Amino acid sequence: MRLGCTVFICVHRWFHFVRFAEGVGAKMRGLSDLVGKLCEASVQDFYSPYAGLDWPEKLEDDAWYFSPELISLFGSEAYAHLDAQGQKRLSFHEAVNFFSLNIHGERSLIEGLAYRLYRKGNDDYTRYLHHFLDEENKHMVYFGTFCVRYAAKVYPDKKMVLPRDYAPGEEDFLFFAKVLIFEEIVDVYNKRMAADPRLHPIAREINRLHHRDESRHLAFGRRLVKELFDRHSPGWAPEVLSGVREYLGDYIRSTWQEYYNPAVYKDAGLPNPYDVQKEALSLPSCRSRHEQVSRPWLTMLLRQGILTEDPYHDD
Amino acid sequence: MMTEAEIRQKLREWVVRQSGKIRPEELADDTAIIEKRIIKSVRIPDLILFIEEHSGRTIDVEQLKPGVFRNIDTIYRNFFAVKADGPGPEKA
Ligand SMILES: [Fe+2]
Ligand SMILES: [Fe+2]
Repeated sequence: MRLGCTVFICVHRWFHFVRFAEGVGAKMRGLSDLVGKLCEASVQDFYSPYAGLDWPEKLEDDAWYFSPELISLFGSEAYAHLDAQGQKRLSFHEAVNFFSLNIHGERSLIEGLAYRLYRKGNDDYTRYLHHFLDEENKHMVYFGTFCVRYAAKVYPDKKMVLPRDYAPGEEDFLFFAKVLIFEEIVDVYNKRMAADPRLHPIAREINRLHHRDESRHLAFGRRLVKELFDRHSPGWAPEVLSGVREYLGDYIRSTWQEYYNPAVYKDAGLPNPYDVQKEALSLPSCRSRHEQVSRPWLTMLLRQGILTEDPYHDD
Repeated sequence: MMTEAEIRQKLREWVVRQSGKIRPEELADDTAIIEKRIIKSVRIPDLILFIEEHSGRTIDVEQLKPGVFRNIDTIYRNFFAVKADGPGPEKA
């Protein structure tokens, strides 16, 4: 009886192990199939960031460079008090801020991608990291050109990375999850502005070019983030898991906050730029813009169990 | 122009508000806010804006050492106790 029981448990465990290994194997195959397709698409879509963009000598004042409804202050009193000229001027500085955020995001992304090339455990996707890295560098070329040529500056980065310890797999997971969230938000803006006929052609074109590459980065990120979570999170202590979720919630909040830059408001000639920023951030209309932009990927992260709390349903 | 006591008070209020975990009576000016993870790295941009607003100086993040945010004392010393035309915060 006891022997029978032991045999049963062993067979049962073996069966589970085989099913688990098959599951991991199938997922890895799924990822490498996707990686193969994305690499092919990147090769097909290979372009030079130095050709194809028609950079005007000077930008006219009387044009939109950012869709008005996406301007951080849209819906605020400060925005309503601006005349049409002032709103357009603000749209230019908002575009410079948006491109600056991308430059800083891409710089740390490139660092993280370079660090992960040919590291153990990344064999399935290292060949795609080459394209990812190459494409992000190209984006920095045109975002940087716009900022330096027309605004003579890139808005400085206010982020600082403080060293800390990580559980196994936690750092990798957080790296790709943060990249995904950042790129998801940017892509909604890119798509809308690429299709906005009110925008100056150079602003539309930059948004269009960026979206073209980002749709591949997002396909890769959505798959990889889920897979890294499934691979590593079962081994994390409960406090690590809750810490990861809390961190991602904070990251979402601080990513949105970067869209509200007092330096932009100052450059656009608004008085009391810090008060203007606080007013806008507290508006229900701003919050609902964040929610609307975030909803699709938030639903995905909640469904996958990566997040358990909806940041927009907390009160 | 705020006094030293007022600035320190504002900084303490900011830390309590942002952390959502620590009570005002638990926070001293030498409490290690980064090391104890009362303030996490994602809140640093917000802290920098707060310091810029109240000190009137622009902070060049690339030049900062992480130690400048160790506690309320170091924040005060590095960003507020120096004159506007003085040497500025500790450089990396
Ligand atoms: Fe990019
Ligand atoms: Fe990207």
